[in-house]
Amino acid sequence: MFRFNSQFNSKRSLLALAISAAISPVYADGYGLQNANREKANTEKWECKRCVVETGFNGTISINAAYNDADDIHFGNTTGTDKDGLVAGVDADLINKSKSGYQTTFVADKLGYDAGSARLETGRVGQYKIGLGYRGLAHYDTNSALSPYANAGDSLTLPANWQTGAVTAQMPTLFDDAKQVALSSQRDRFLVDANYTGGFYQADISYQHEKRQGKRSFSGNFLTNSAMLAQPIDDSTDEFNAKLYFNGPGWLIGIDSSFSQYNNDHDSLIWQNAFTPTFGAAYTGQSAVAPDNKAYRIGTNAQISGNGHQVLMHLGMASFTQDDAFLPATINGPSPALPTTNLDGKVDTTDMRLKYTSRPLRQLAIRASYDYSDRDNKTAIKPFPQVVTDSYYAGTAMNPEYDRTRQQAKIGAKYRFSRAIYLDTEYQYDHNDYSDLDRDRLRENGLSAKVNYKISSAWSAWLKAEFSDRTGSTYDPVSSTNSQSNPYLRKSYLADREREQYQVNVSYNTNSAFSASANVRVSSDNYDQTLVGLTQVDTQGYDISASYLLNDNFIINAYLNQDWRDSDQAGSSNFSLPNWYVNTDEESTLVGAGIDYRNLIDKKLDLGLDYSYSDGQSDTELTQGISSPYGDYFAKRHNISAFAKYQLGEKMALRFDWIFEDYKDSDWLNQGLTLDAIPNVLIFGDLSHDYSAHYVGFTFSYEL
Amino acid sequence: MNIEFKALSPKCKQSITNKSKAFNINKALISLLFVSSLAACSGDDGTPGNPGEPGGPPASEINALNIEVSEVVFSSEIATVNYRITNENDEPVVGVPSATYLAAQLLPQGFTNAGDASQWQYFTSESCSNSCDGDFVDHKNGQYSYTFSGAFNGMNNIAFMPGATQRVVIKVGGDTLPDGTALPVTNQHFDWQDNGSEPAYTRNLIEMQTCNTCHNDLAFHGSKYNEVETCVTCHNADKVSNPDNVFAPMVHSKHLTGFPVSLADCQTCHVADETLTENMNWARVPTMQACGSCHTNIDFPSGQGHPAQVDNSNCVACHNPDWTMSAHSQADTDAVLAQFNAEVVSAELNGDAVNFEIRLSNPATNEVYSDSADKLDFINDLRVYANFGISVDYTTRSAKSIKLQDIEPISGSNGTYQYQIAGLTLSDDPTTDKGTLALQGRLCSNGAMLVNCDDTETTTTIDSSYQFFSATEVTDQGRRMVVSNETCGSCHGDQQLNYHGSRNDLEQQCQLCHNPNMQADASAINPAASTADYKHLAHTLHAGSRESYPDINYPGNIGNCAQCHTTDEAGILTAALPLSAAVQPLAFNDGSFTSATSAICSACHLSDSAKAHMTQQGGVFNGSEADATAGTESCATCHGQGAAVDVLKVHPIQ
Repeated sequence: MFRFNSQFNSKRSLLALAISAAISPVYADGYGLQNANREKANTEKWECKRCVVETGFNGTISINAAYNDADDIHFGNTTGTDKDGLVAGVDADLINKSKSGYQTTFVADKLGYDAGSARLETGRVGQYKIGLGYRGLAHYDTNSALSPYANAGDSLTLPANWQTGAVTAQMPTLFDDAKQVALSSQRDRFLVDANYTGGFYQADISYQHEKRQGKRSFSGNFLTNSAMLAQPIDDSTDEFNAKLYFNGPGWLIGIDSSFSQYNNDHDSLIWQNAFTPTFGAAYTGQSAVAPDNKAYRIGTNAQISGNGHQVLMHLGMASFTQDDAFLPATINGPSPALPTTNLDGKVDTTDMRLKYTSRPLRQLAIRASYDYSDRDNKTAIKPFPQVVTDSYYAGTAMNPEYDRTRQQAKIGAKYRFSRAIYLDTEYQYDHNDYSDLDRDRLRENGLSAKVNYKISSAWSAWLKAEFSDRTGSTYDPVSSTNSQSNPYLRKSYLADREREQYQVNVSYNTNSAFSASANVRVSSDNYDQTLVGLTQVDTQGYDISASYLLNDNFIINAYLNQDWRDSDQAGSSNFSLPNWYVNTDEESTLVGAGIDYRNLIDKKLDLGLDYSYSDGQSDTELTQGISSPYGDYFAKRHNISAFAKYQLGEKMALRFDWIFEDYKDSDWLNQGLTLDAIPNVLIFGDLSHDYSAHYVGFTFSYEL
Repeated sequence: MNIEFKALSPKCKQSITNKSKAFNINKALISLLFVSSLAACSGDDGTPGNPGEPGGPPASEINALNIEVSEVVFSSEIATVNYRITNENDEPVVGVPSATYLAAQLLPQGFTNAGDASQWQYFTSESCSNSCDGDFVDHKNGQYSYTFSGAFNGMNNIAFMPGATQRVVIKVGGDTLPDGTALPVTNQHFDWQDNGSEPAYTRNLIEMQTCNTCHNDLAFHGSKYNEVETCVTCHNADKVSNPDNVFAPMVHSKHLTGFPVSLADCQTCHVADETLTENMNWARVPTMQACGSCHTNIDFPSGQGHPAQVDNSNCVACHNPDWTMSAHSQADTDAVLAQFNAEVVSAELNGDAVNFEIRLSNPATNEVYSDSADKLDFINDLRVYANFGISVDYTTRSAKSIKLQDIEPISGSNGTYQYQIAGLTLSDDPTTDKGTLALQGRLCSNGAMLVNCDDTETTTTIDSSYQFFSATEVTDQGRRMVVSNETCGSCHGDQQLNYHGSRNDLEQQCQLCHNPNMQADASAINPAASTADYKHLAHTLHAGSRESYPDINYPGNIGNCAQCHTTDEAGILTAALPLSAAVQPLAFNDGSFTSATSAICSACHLSDSAKAHMTQQGGVFNGSEADATAGTESCATCHGQGAAVDVLKVHPIQ
């Protein structure tokens, strides 16, 4: 996974690399900067074409007004707002540069929309910078959920005249009392940051406050009865980061630290029981919500390189704590005594990385690395009384530790046979120790090989194959659970597994107008020792994309992507060997095309049109002699985005945007169901989407 | 088979033999190949033998029928069942004149709704005798085929479900072969599925043998149907109009009254058996239909006696298998009893008293309880009884007793303590006679643990026990054993039946008091039903002839003496004549006596003619004690063990 290109050895890139390595535990699976596929990057395009420094105040400011059809708020995920009707926003891209090198910028995008952003930055290029930012993020699920509950602080209350029923069909006022409720969330993120670059060091400091509001689905249970509730979300996260790095020729050393704090405005979620209590006087339920908590992290990085050798070291330690006061074990009747007033929970993590890369021969690069990460739960283990869903006392249970230590060793080599062909192989050993799981230890051996062949100046191809085999200690089902597992069950994340993955990629890339690439992939996961549980997962997929530059002003592009996943699962209805089987076929298709036509009508008109279609579906069939297919589970989306931008004058332009979306999704879990369709579950009703919506907007922009 | 082929030319014989092998591979082609082999050898007078089967000539003697279903062929949605009938010696049975064929389909567990048990769906019942609903073929070699009258799909308004487990039941017997040989009623089921493979799921909960431990040869509907697998094909919601007659609720509710053992132990009938795939359904698949048929005070949908539940989807959420097993099994009792054992380690006569030593121990840990019973806080009750004179089935009707938890031992230490029971009635020659000590009691318990009696109100009854003794020592030999706890336990559970509180040793303890010193009512129509003498009590109680037990409905065949009687050391059933010399005549409250054998036989054989027969053969009814014990009875001459009309032969003993 870790590919380092030793050609990058300037101070800047080294620094960037080290910083990115420092955050790598978070992005350990290929999203880190160091994993960027720089080999394909066309660095020629990085050439600075506007490096003529202009001073003074310039830029563009725009205002837009649009009609947004948000009958179904789900369309807001595309347009950035769930406001139905007229919406307005501001865009800006302003810069002020002084001759002395000071520079101030202000950038705004759809400011005024839920999903808008703005950033003000000032400083001296290459020396220091202070920034102030805002970003809104919004997710809209549905506005058609139906619920008789009303939100008030931590509580969800039923109407005063509510009459409970043993089952949903026996709640006489249910349909009259049910009101529409929107499930969506809005995040407002505020950021202050600063950095300073000295001769041999760089310091970064940042503070971010994120506030989140909205509602999400929650299941309020009373033993065998459950109500779907719109749980209020009102919380915030504060995060403070500081980094200090020193570097010199062939070395770099640094320290970075962070502190974050989560505050939930809600202490608990309290809801009235819509059902007639099954046991006792369970009229009200109370559930804990995410507790306030804190996290600290400190890490050091060091890197030494020279003579073709490079050593990278990282050590990080973090501590997560939580001491929110416990809620009583039940609010229905006297609560059994808790062993302590709060969890005083503490989890420490340690992560470490050692990596060595070298190029002993001109054609050969070798690499070896060792990664260690440890999760140590230091929370005291105590017996906690269990009052099952606020209904009845069911003894005590100890809090499990779930400690984990993971060690990974990798050794790899890349050998270049010729300018056209290289082979990259890697062996990987992954070792995990767990506590409180069905297996104490998992071991995985993996081998991968990739051949890259540059067939001609335009054509290149690569083939990659990966094999891994996972096994571990004796499978011994935990006995701490209320009811024991089927002895033949192997949980998929702990089961023995043989995995094969193959990928072929062909690309055609020239300086001429046409470029295209294709990728085909297959994989197979075989849980060969599993009788009951997930037994097999096969995937296939391909991507095709192409773009064609008709002339300097006219580009067309198209892409097609399809993936399939076929999963097999075996179960047992008599607590023994398998006697029922489930096959799940999942399919996703993404197809799209776009044209971009610039500088029409005397270079005054730009046009763009993009169309995309996505379709995801999952078909599940259960077979126990008789085959019973599950119902619909799909999402289909057609999207057209078009714009026309007309330059009214030298400094003014008018842009017209049109977005059309046709969207349908459905899940058999609630498809076509009324609120009382399930006797013991008070549901939100049918949450399927089916809409065609338009967004039509005009943007007037002025260039300063 | 070879004999049959003698008339054939060697070549033809070879051809048929080869084809016979083919039959083994594909029996579906039986009839077709018959035709072809006959055609190939036309002109020969030899009848084709028994192709495909190694058996010789047809069975001439038939005590049992075995029906072996080889396959169900499903062609154009019409099922043909091919089967073979043999006798107990695997000889083919040819010419079975009639049969009944039942067909049903099984829906898997949870198919009709979450939490529902698997469920049979009746298709049809078709019969063949003189006429036939479908197409019946007797291949005349023990092989038979039956093709149902039509496609199952739609029969009884049930849709045939591809892939579902199907059942065919064949019932034959109850009539005779053309030569007059009687055919025993035999049911055989065969589970199959349409795609040819083994059924993907089953519903195997119970064996008929379990029912027949208490019932004998249970059979219904004119004795035609005698297997659980047969009953369920019709007793399901799609066949019976009354939901109470669906198999599980019907069987449960029929056992609610008069059940001879605790109803709370589901495993009396749902006996643990790993060969039955769904054997644990009683604990794993709780439904309102199955549970509600015993818990009759619950109305689930309306929420009476249990929080309202409209279907079975939630049951297992609370009533998980562990819970159900702990509430409905003997496991806790067994665990408590495994921690306590009381034994008499020595005993001797001392005048008219018996001195004995008791040792209490914990077999689970092999440790002796060092304290005496009065110091052990978990003992709620521990009593010892004594009676003497087994030569005359005890000298007095009132056995003497002491309560060990209330008295201090006479002496003893370290777990062995001495006690005395005084006031025994000795027999004529105590030095050659013997007596019996019997123990009973209760332990204080909580779950599987023994606890201080101050901390609980729950008690567990121990298994009562006994110890014989002579004038000088404890002995293994003592009163004869006529019935055993095991034979009684076949219906009542092993020492599960408690009388007078906690007396449950049915083989020797009861007899200490229920002995011939008990008197019958001289005015009773059936005197045996009026005395508490054990033999008469047991006979008349099970026969339903005692006024105090009017509801007794004996589940087996009352004439099957072996249901209760055990065998002696020689392997002879203890119901055999002649009687032991210790058996005393029946005493009446007017001072008269009836001779021993006559008293026993006349408990069931009540008619005047039966009494007259007994009297003619030396029996004495309501005579003097001297006459009744003079030995004039000559019953054993004809009815004795091995004689012409041995009681063991004339009773339907199994």
